[in-house]
Amino acid sequence: MTAVMDRPLVGTEPRSRFQEIWRIVRLHAVTPSVFFGIPWIILGGAWLVMLVIGIIVTGAGADPVAMGEGMRYSWAVLSPQWYLIAVGVQAIGMTLSFALGFGATRRDFWLGTSLMFGIVSLLNAIAIATLVQIEKATGGWWVGISMFDALWYGQDGWLVDFYTTLALQLFVLFIGASVTTVYLRWRMRGMLALAAGAIALVLGVVATFTFTESWPAVFDWFMGLGVVGVFTLVLGLAAICAIGGYLVIRRATPR
Amino acid sequence: MTRTVVRASGLTKRYGSFTAVDAVDFSLEENRIYGLLGRNGAGKTTVMQMLTGQIFPNGGELEVFGRAPAEHADVLRRICFIAESQRYPDSFNASHVFTAAPWFFESWDAAFAERLVDDFRLPLKRYIKKLSRGQLSAVGVIVGLASRAPLTFFDEPYLGLDAVARQIFYDRLLEDYAEHPRTIVLSTHLIDEVANLLEHLLVIDQGRILLDRDADEVRGSATTVAGGRAAVESFVADRAVIGREGIGGLASVTIDGRLSQADRIQAAELGLELAPVSLQQLIVHMTGTDLRADAIEQEVAA
Repeated sequence: MTAVMDRPLVGTEPRSRFQEIWRIVRLHAVTPSVFFGIPWIILGGAWLVMLVIGIIVTGAGADPVAMGEGMRYSWAVLSPQWYLIAVGVQAIGMTLSFALGFGATRRDFWLGTSLMFGIVSLLNAIAIATLVQIEKATGGWWVGISMFDALWYGQDGWLVDFYTTLALQLFVLFIGASVTTVYLRWRMRGMLALAAGAIALVLGVVATFTFTESWPAVFDWFMGLGVVGVFTLVLGLAAICAIGGYLVIRRATPR
Repeated sequence: MTRTVVRASGLTKRYGSFTAVDAVDFSLEENRIYGLLGRNGAGKTTVMQMLTGQIFPNGGELEVFGRAPAEHADVLRRICFIAESQRYPDSFNASHVFTAAPWFFESWDAAFAERLVDDFRLPLKRYIKKLSRGQLSAVGVIVGLASRAPLTFFDEPYLGLDAVARQIFYDRLLEDYAEHPRTIVLSTHLIDEVANLLEHLLVIDQGRILLDRDADEVRGSATTVAGGRAAVESFVADRAVIGREGIGGLASVTIDGRLSQADRIQAAELGLELAPVSLQQLIVHMTGTDLRADAIEQEVAA
């Protein structure tokens, strides 16, 4: 016979929340090439190119110190970041659909993905900050190149390099992921609204600063922030993306 | 005692002005095999997506294991639904899918999955996006079978599978179902292929449930009456006609409802041939547009 249920059928056996979140981390890591392999191949490739250039330039008799100075303006150290935006997009766009098919909740998926982003960012930050120190200690890998010790890196010690890389890495991953949640929830209409909103915001800020003639003050404030201050802003943006993504993904519907 | 696993009432899903699922009521009992049958675009996948919390209904009530499924981990962990159009991460091959499966399905049987991989000759190391349609279906079928989830959905499992693979699916499903009873929902438009598997039928068309009955009841419920046009017409005159075909003086009419012994004798006396209707035929009659054409023809004839 058929019983009318007056209480839920679902079991009450405990299953730790962490396990449900951790399995999403494992799901992202089941093909380690995506988060680890390819970014480091890109970075390694850039390093190899720089190394060969360094050997050629010094071999041709140029001043290695001047070369090292010039290389400080190379963006080679940031080369994997563009790819990692795409990783953030795909982590949501493709893996979410799969995880839902396997019975994960959107909440656990986002928390697990965020944890994965955190782990990746932490490891990358440790690695990059350490490579900066190695490069400096070896005099540019014994050929005088300046790949990691470039841009803002290598000036304020390991901890600043670590912190700035961590902030940048989290931002890059979360911006790709959170924008993708907007697409999954509202499709093209949401993307257009988001783009229009972002443009309106930028124009509004520019207009405000222009009409109040406060540009010099803004520049002064920005310069006063210093490297650490700027990357704290970046970290704040990453946090906004992370929280926004969590709110948006709760009712997202992948196809 | 049977428990109700799914209860839907007035369940509705709209996409803009299009109503994909229109206020349907049905329930699914524990440990039965259901067929969710209907034409392309009838609303089968939409129903399954709502039942598995992948999309959110616009109206009505839905309880799966006693709760709304969406975002309830303790409901979702009992469900397995690999959609026919399931997307996989680009970097995945089939072995990645089977590696991850046990983290999500607590009753996952790895040895069973391995055997099924051999049965279906599924290449484990080929990227999912490089698999053929049949191999892709095999991935979904293997996950569905080996997960042993209390509520398992198979969405068009036969798509692209060759005859041998279809037979393997059929055999393995019945074997495993006998040992590990669970609620299974098979959605398909290839009805005759699965007809013998199904215990209960839900026929859906244009977002509405047309039929919700035990398969055994349905199997004997319709009959095709063939013979001379005049004799056939007199025999079916006061019966529910669900299909009508004819060439010249011959007619073949499908009627709903069981025939009594007296009916059969009468038919024999009239020289009419009675034939059972296959499930597929019956559903074609129920969901096809030919019924309306028949209605017009009937009016013209009358």
